[in-house]
Amino acid sequence: MSAADRARDALERLVEASATERILISTAALVLSVLLGAVLVLVAGRMTTCTAGEAVYYLGIGFCYDPVVVFDRLFLGALGDPLSGGWSPDGQFSVTLRETTLLLFTGLSVALAFRAGIFNIGTQGQMVVGALATALGVSWASSFVSGALGTVVLIPFGVLVGATFGGLYGAVPGVLKAYADANEVITTIMLNFIATGVALYLVSGIFKDPNSAANQTVPLPEFARFPAVLFGGRQDFSLVALAFGLLAVAALYYVLEHTAFGYDVRTSGVQPDAAEYGGVDAERTVVASLGLSGALGGVAGAMYVMMVLGTFQTGIPSYGFDGITVSILAGNNPLGVGIAALLFGVLKSGTTVVQFATDVPPQLVGVLRGLVILFVAMPEFFRLLAKGLPGVGSGRGPEAAATDGGVVTGDGAAGDDGGETDE
Amino acid sequence: MSDATADGAGADGETTVAEEGSLFERHTTRAIFAATTVASVVALLLAGFLFPESLAGTLADVLTSENTLAAALRLSVPIAFAALGGIFAEKSGVINIGLEGLLIISAFGAIYVADLTGGVWVGFAGGVLASTLLAGLFAVVTIKFRADQIIAGLAVWLIALGLAPFASQVIYGSPNTPTVATSPSIYVPVFAELPFFGALFSASPSVYMLFAAVFLSWYVFERTAFGRWIRASGENPRALDTAGVSVTRVRYAAVIISGVLAGMGGAALSLDLGQFTGNGPTMVNGKGFIAIVAYLFGNYNPVGAFLSTMLFAGLDAVQTVLQLQGIGIPRQLIRIAPFVVVIVVLALVGRTRLPEAAGENYETEE
Repeated sequence: MSAADRARDALERLVEASATERILISTAALVLSVLLGAVLVLVAGRMTTCTAGEAVYYLGIGFCYDPVVVFDRLFLGALGDPLSGGWSPDGQFSVTLRETTLLLFTGLSVALAFRAGIFNIGTQGQMVVGALATALGVSWASSFVSGALGTVVLIPFGVLVGATFGGLYGAVPGVLKAYADANEVITTIMLNFIATGVALYLVSGIFKDPNSAANQTVPLPEFARFPAVLFGGRQDFSLVALAFGLLAVAALYYVLEHTAFGYDVRTSGVQPDAAEYGGVDAERTVVASLGLSGALGGVAGAMYVMMVLGTFQTGIPSYGFDGITVSILAGNNPLGVGIAALLFGVLKSGTTVVQFATDVPPQLVGVLRGLVILFVAMPEFFRLLAKGLPGVGSGRGPEAAATDGGVVTGDGAAGDDGGETDE
Repeated sequence: MSDATADGAGADGETTVAEEGSLFERHTTRAIFAATTVASVVALLLAGFLFPESLAGTLADVLTSENTLAAALRLSVPIAFAALGGIFAEKSGVINIGLEGLLIISAFGAIYVADLTGGVWVGFAGGVLASTLLAGLFAVVTIKFRADQIIAGLAVWLIALGLAPFASQVIYGSPNTPTVATSPSIYVPVFAELPFFGALFSASPSVYMLFAAVFLSWYVFERTAFGRWIRASGENPRALDTAGVSVTRVRYAAVIISGVLAGMGGAALSLDLGQFTGNGPTMVNGKGFIAIVAYLFGNYNPVGAFLSTMLFAGLDAVQTVLQLQGIGIPRQLIRIAPFVVVIVVLALVGRTRLPEAAGENYETEE
């Protein structure tokens, strides 16, 4: 099959793949990951030691960890225990929304690049750069304004600074890919390490807060942080930031589906050769997509600084890598990112609950993240599984075969990436 | 970035002639880069010997020290093993971006088994087994269930990145394991006394295994039928199929081999230190990704991959010594030097010629 035929195939599959199937696959992937996670918890519970009184028994075998408790804490705990009564928005639920807000931006960042057929593994680094730039920029600007006016001026300013620096950092692998054909998977991963290293150098030296033992910048004044609306200030969550995140979801959806730039991005993602014949400037699209993707990562960093920490500190949690999972789970669709970000917000926030309530190590969620990606990557697996179930496979018949490739966005992109363009 | 690279990149893709032109330029850039590196090292050494008191003198001292070579060899082991593994997988048509994950899982597995049994070599085998199992999973997912290779590879990385510290936390109560015994170096009398090259003759067993693996891999690709099958499976799977060899089996074998080789690298990495460190990006810290760059730069040739690994590892070794000497450049910045070099190299070399069918799933028409 020639390159053009393959690309056309991918395009056809993309058009034909039903959104329903994608949702089904994502849900199935999530459920399977949780089941495998439960097995992992049981196995881990056999490998560790505990007193007989603490052990739970399934089928007459004692385990030190109870998966039911783990997943109860993970999900219900993250939602602030709505079943127990006395639920309040100030509790763990606002932590969940905080994580969701950050994941919205990193998820959108990855999704935008994926739609253009580019693997941006560098959202993490772009977030670090954006966060550091915001912390320094806002801290500098906060000496000129103060009070309510300060908030109104500084927050958009901080977001803009984060977006600019994140965007520039994202454009670097874009330029390298467009003009030197450097594989973006490798360059973005390397740029993650570089961002962390340079940030550590700057924050442990020149920009270090002299009054702190930790490697961090001078804390921002209270008025330069996102205001807590409706929610108490204790959990570092701001409804304003979440609203901004939802706005970004809608905006990216609109840009991708209804603008000329979005059309360029989507066609280059699915069928780069045809896109170029159709007049799309491939180089410019690559740089612009990665730049915009980096800008979204940078905004995530700005949010992290102005909403959560109030300063830049080394060791930013792996929101960028979680963004990859969020985007893949969402089929790289901005609207899907909204839902997937909430799901992963629950997982991230639930991790702390699990840590307090059980002895199970929090790295469990990292494993779940990998499993989700693995399962979503193989729609074929679920198709075979569905064929095995009586009644499920029969109803779909030949149509199911036609909609081959549930996450075709990723599928097509990778095929193009490895197979044709890189030869 | 040189103009030549940019032009070459811009011109290709249209016709065969342009394609060959850019291929030629890629090789030229690669050769120029290698020559420039060698020339600047020689110039540095000369300047160093002429003016021993200068910065060049210090650098020349570092470069010619036996310790630097020893450190470079030691640092090469995990990267070069992973790179060899990556060549097997990718030549067969499966891009294995999960090498980092394979290194992580085998680094932990080796320490765990060594701690459990008290035997260093049993531990080594345990690490290889862990990596091979994960590679087997990756093979099933990508070959049988036709998953996207890049995404599945990312999943392998992220699973290992979570699983190894998770297991360490469960078993030892900390993401870092306690220390186990390490294997003693092999010491060749007389030769080990040689200046500089003595490092080659008093190294850890894993260094010698690496030399053997590089030679064996080269031999397999250049001289055996299996090597030809792997190449065909990546370049023209249909032809291989027509010739009556199962593409699926060849790809399974190649991915499994990549798991075994990466496992040897990961096990050697942690057993060399006697400990697994699972904090942050773990002790593997991007070596799997540098391995990918190493084989791209080495143009899928085992010997080339080894030599480019030595380039990165040598840089890493030099930066470690410079850190100890407190040469004025901040530690945190020296530490990112290998990553910067990887990007510069990628920008100069640009696209390497991937096997024709790499990244694609192959369906037999039975």
